[in-house]
Amino acid sequence: MRKILLVVILGLGVAAASSLLRYSNPVAAGSSQTTAVFDSDGKMKLPVGYRRWVFIGAPLTPNALNNGKANFPEYHHVYVEQKNLDAYLKTGVFPEGTVIVKELTRVLNPTFPDGSRTEPSGRGYFNGEYNGMDVTVKDSKRFAATNGWGFFNFGHHPLPYAESAKEASVAECAGCHIAYVAKTDMTWVQFYPILRDGDKTK
Amino acid sequence: MTYLARITLGLLVMAATAVSPQSGSKGPVFAKDGSLVLPAGFRSWVFIGGPITPNKLNDGTAPFPEFHSVYIERENLRYYQKNGKFPEGTVMVKELALAQVGEHPDGSLDSASGRGYFPSTLNGLDVMVKDSKRFAGTNDWGFFTFGHHAEPYETVAKESSISQCAYCHIASVAKTDMVWVQYYPLLKTKID
Repeated sequence: MRKILLVVILGLGVAAASSLLRYSNPVAAGSSQTTAVFDSDGKMKLPVGYRRWVFIGAPLTPNALNNGKANFPEYHHVYVEQKNLDAYLKTGVFPEGTVIVKELTRVLNPTFPDGSRTEPSGRGYFNGEYNGMDVTVKDSKRFAATNGWGFFNFGHHPLPYAESAKEASVAECAGCHIAYVAKTDMTWVQFYPILRDGDKTK
Repeated sequence: MTYLARITLGLLVMAATAVSPQSGSKGPVFAKDGSLVLPAGFRSWVFIGGPITPNKLNDGTAPFPEFHSVYIERENLRYYQKNGKFPEGTVMVKELALAQVGEHPDGSLDSASGRGYFPSTLNGLDVMVKDSKRFAGTNDWGFFTFGHHAEPYETVAKESSISQCAYCHIASVAKTDMVWVQYYPLLKTKID
């Protein structure tokens, strides 16, 4: 009996330890890790799995309200990884290696001149097809010249997006972030309820 | 109980608690009276799309003011993408947010990225749950509102009446499992 129990204890001990390890590993890996992948030219590879990250908000700039051609057409779905969101909520800055993805979608078949349509839930805007992706990456060494963030555009068009992207010029992206949101870690935190007010469900 | 037996029990508990955080869907939680408990952790689920019905385009009071961010658990999304219907126990959360007040008559705002609508404060939560036994009378789905107002939301909600929610879904989207799949890019494709 004692021998059997000892074997059981050993087995359970291993099971418990490996379960704990599996659970704690991603947490321990923490803020030093990044999902950003760069090739030897410094081009960034298209992020993967970002639709499973935390969605933080979706500004909408319809083409019809922007002379037919919004700079970011038209919905902007913004995602950040949970660990980086948690760090931001705790410290007010994003950790090194943070990747923020903005995926665009068109609006669904406009019927009014402003691009809206009427559905049973009311008049407004509804998502159409996916339409492109922009990414910012925080790396204070690599992007020291642009306040610690690099900007990448994987195309403003339907899927598939570009497989890799070189850093966008200051005039294309960073310039505007530096001018308006340098004080909030280069991010338009005012447009994202959870960044502004915290996640009160936690 | 022998010393060894106690250790065994202790390790059993450790193994069980160590594993539990990894388990996937928790599904809906109902109170004894059939009320639904406010779902937790839904902002870490998969966002599938965000209709916007601005108050200013809806006579000042949109039925769902104003951004609708819709979330679903990943395994239920994958099941839908594979089978064209949602599995039993699926919970869909629609969280509302108000738009920032803009200077244009339609409520839109001029921002550095262009003229449009930008989220401000969170503004409420509606939930639908698939349970073909419990909600047999409304095409297998139950509808709940936890308030259309800033946080904190209600902690429990009674099933909404048919005229409040289910009626419109039955009239318009009964053929697509009671969900307005046409508004959600991830439900229209099989991409991950």
